Amino acid sequence: MPTSRRAFLGASAALLAASCSGTPDALGLRRSVRVAVSWSGQELRAFHSVLDNLGRLDYPVEVVPLGDDISTAFGPRSARRPDLVMLPQPGLVAEHRSDLESMPDDLAGRGRALLWDELLVADGTTYGLPFKTANKSAVWYRPSVLEKAGLEPPTQWSEWLNVNRSLAASGIRPLALAAGDGWVLTDFLENVLLGSSPSTYQALATAAHPRLSEQPAFAAALRLLGTMWSAPGVLAGGVERSLVQQFPDAIVEVFGHRRAAMVLASDFAEPVVRSFAANPGDIAMFTFPPMSPGTAAPVVVGGDVMVLPKPAGDDARDLVRRLAAPAAVDPWIAAGGFLADGRTTGYSPELTRLAKQLVTPTASLQFDLSDRLGRLGDINGLWRVLTGFLVRIGGRGSDVVPDATEAALAELKKVES
Amino acid sequence: MGLQSNGLSLEIVGREISGRPVPGKPRRPLGPYLLGLPALLLSCLLLVPIGVTVVAAFRRPDGSFGLANFAVMGDPAALHAVGNSLAWIAVALALVVVGFLLALVSYRLPGLSTFLQPALVIPFAVSVLVSGVTFRLIFDATPERGTVTAVWTKLFGSSPVWLGPGLFWLVLVSAFGWTWLGYVVSLFRAGLEAIPDDVSRTLTAEGVTGWRRLLALELPLLRPITGVVTLTLVIAAVRVFDLVLIVVPGPMQGDADVLGLNWWRAAGTGEPAGRTAALGVVLFAIVAAVAVIGVRGLRRRRWAMPVRVVRADPAVGRSRPSKRVRRIGWTVGFAVGLFWILPAVVLVATALHSPREAGLRGWWSLDGIGLESFAAAANAGLLRALLSTVLISTIATAVLLVIAVPTAYLVAWGGLPHWLGRLVTSSFVVLAVTPVQMYAAPLRDAIGSAGLAGSRVALALVHAAAGLPFAVLLLRSAFASAPPVLVAEALQGPARQSAVLATVQRTYRPALVAVAVLEFALVWNDFIVGFLISGPGTTPLSLVLWGEARQFSAASGTVAAAAVVASVVPVVLLLSFWPTVVRGLTVGSKP
Repeated sequence: MPTSRRAFLGASAALLAASCSGTPDALGLRRSVRVAVSWSGQELRAFHSVLDNLGRLDYPVEVVPLGDDISTAFGPRSARRPDLVMLPQPGLVAEHRSDLESMPDDLAGRGRALLWDELLVADGTTYGLPFKTANKSAVWYRPSVLEKAGLEPPTQWSEWLNVNRSLAASGIRPLALAAGDGWVLTDFLENVLLGSSPSTYQALATAAHPRLSEQPAFAAALRLLGTMWSAPGVLAGGVERSLVQQFPDAIVEVFGHRRAAMVLASDFAEPVVRSFAANPGDIAMFTFPPMSPGTAAPVVVGGDVMVLPKPAGDDARDLVRRLAAPAAVDPWIAAGGFLADGRTTGYSPELTRLAKQLVTPTASLQFDLSDRLGRLGDINGLWRVLTGFLVRIGGRGSDVVPDATEAALAELKKVES
Repeated sequence: MGLQSNGLSLEIVGREISGRPVPGKPRRPLGPYLLGLPALLLSCLLLVPIGVTVVAAFRRPDGSFGLANFAVMGDPAALHAVGNSLAWIAVALALVVVGFLLALVSYRLPGLSTFLQPALVIPFAVSVLVSGVTFRLIFDATPERGTVTAVWTKLFGSSPVWLGPGLFWLVLVSAFGWTWLGYVVSLFRAGLEAIPDDVSRTLTAEGVTGWRRLLALELPLLRPITGVVTLTLVIAAVRVFDLVLIVVPGPMQGDADVLGLNWWRAAGTGEPAGRTAALGVVLFAIVAAVAVIGVRGLRRRRWAMPVRVVRADPAVGRSRPSKRVRRIGWTVGFAVGLFWILPAVVLVATALHSPREAGLRGWWSLDGIGLESFAAAANAGLLRALLSTVLISTIATAVLLVIAVPTAYLVAWGGLPHWLGRLVTSSFVVLAVTPVQMYAAPLRDAIGSAGLAGSRVALALVHAAAGLPFAVLLLRSAFASAPPVLVAEALQGPARQSAVLATVQRTYRPALVAVAVLEFALVWNDFIVGFLISGPGTTPLSLVLWGEARQFSAASGTVAAAAVVASVVPVVLLLSFWPTVVRGLTVGSKP
């Protein structure tokens, strides 16, 4: 025992010595540029590859993954304010404007691009730059299943309901729903609302004090959504299974275990789809269909914007400049699941379609509503309300939808007050 | 004055006594008090922020004082969280009972421990986060991935969704029990071993058996250990935080909410500081109440087991059990040990699959075996975090030892006035159970405004301060149980204090080792202190794990690999020092 103990102590001392001499920043003494991100897993690794690709920097960069709780680190009492935040909820920019530095003038123009200006610009000053854009109106599916049942991908909401019915009748579960991630539920609802009443969507997104529960069009969108989720046999694994399912789980259900046909998942789901697909040739995607003939297809846009909390150092500004360079994100685009704002080339065929949809002038394009509602749109607001809604209706038939809608609106009213 | 007796002449020569007799006062030199000074300074790191929190909890927004902030407890969500926290304490207490019964069984069935011992230590060595990850893997809802789901589906056709509404409690409690049961059993077992054989035999001879024996002999004698065990488990139960975050899927997080989480969400969403402070105070009140009941034994008697100075004569020891009993014990121990180690096997086997295969299939699958997941974990910043964690744990442990040893000596033998000694001990008991939420917010702000935010050294100091109370209490009982003869000799010798210190230090090394090993492992495995005080910025190991676990199935290979890497150091450390740690914790050490 004494020898092994001594050896152990010796080894730890050596490790300690090595760490002290090798990396002074491990002690936290050297100031690094800290980048707060919400990414994890493959996305986080892809971001690391982007950073590695920037070349030699004069300062260490530390990536701080904050997950869904990125707003807590951004809050007023944040311990160690990050130097750069990759904010997945650009709606928070307006809320925290007084704590943010303006963007360097030579880059400011990018923050004023289509859609982004109403979120990122105030009084002619740009407070954020889009880093990553997301098309949240993508539905990934296995073409072989639809072919076998003699079906086409839907081009209208009513067709989609029919496709679901036919698939369920032939014993295939149509939809894997990742209800474990609340934002998947809000994405679903936002597509329906944007498709059925773009004006209401716009009004809610720009209102100072949005009252979702008081909008008839919002209630109508909930009912429409309810008709799909409540149809018996539509949700793979039923409600309980859906509730514990995060979006990669849902993708694995469709493409890995092949127990379901379709999954609503944004463009950033692409690497998950490709890496878990049992048959790499059996992958396809359609975009969220229009709600009725003659109307435009909804396109819900999300994204991560770069913001600089005050006071920003020169190093942080330098990092923003480097990350804003169009070529900086090439490694992530190569890895898949990344759309850069305004760029339509260099992607896989599926992502090219999604990127083109984002620049089509006729599309009904709106920024993600729940990301703009602040607390009302997050885990304790709309996420929870929609989860409760799903629990009340899932697989129980359309009869339960009106009551469940009323209950959801009542809950929402409580959150709003 | 003379006296003659048996041919012996005795003569007493003295002075006349003048004046009235004056009662003597022991001299109390100031020197020893200085020993406590560093501890006082370090404790201020907690005491001042706790004071700030208490004041904030009672201060109304207009500056006056009152109970208005506690109206937050009328909030159904907060009430629900209080209920859950109380339920967790009940789970902890139940675990103490179960552990005690298991220890009794294993005491009566020698041979059981051969295999069981390491199997029980390993879960205790890994962090709560790791055990949460492991049980989430085991209870995964997909039959291709989840062990329990696969077995259940084979047996009954279909399986309930284990992580779903209501059932997630089973997963949470299993993970918590897996982590702590070994600790409880080991400590009670050591306590049972320390019961003197003659006492035990006398009772047997008098025909005291069964429940009467338990009540008359084992329970009273084990009271000090029950105190330690209850205290540790209650602290752990109230600290439940990361376990819920990592195990419970988003939609059920509201149901699983505990007070600590509720506090954190309230603090994060910018609720008024007074209300979050009130939440912290309520949390603290609950723990303190339970802990005070749990450690009542501490006040009544010295918190220490009787020490056997003379090695027991093996001839009069416990009679050797028959071969059959030993064989049964051996077999049962092997089987139980195998079952108990299974989660660790699941974790390692999952880590040895490629991320793709780990996401698609369970650990038993033979496809995609390799080190790909470890490579992926390394790419996620694991090595840097590892380095950071090594530094923080080492600094915290070193600071803790340097400060706790003299303080414990002062409390035990420093000649403090009785009332002061009791005051110091009680304050350390209170500090030991104080939840992080009581001091996190003010401390964070103070560190931030001192420009030390994110510094590993600051975090290590906070860790040392948080670990100090428990370390002092433990060392104090070790020192206090020093054989009085030894101490008296040392005190009367020419070298005085330093000699006592030398004797005590030589005699009570197990307690020192226990403190050092436990502190190192605790800081290594910590999530909540680093997270709440320093923010996620310092990227210690557990935070990398947490980040990776966000998209659980897609990352399960990477998460498992990161968990395995994170667990190697504490597991090796605790496995190699476990007997000493147990002796140190129970202070049943042999000089």
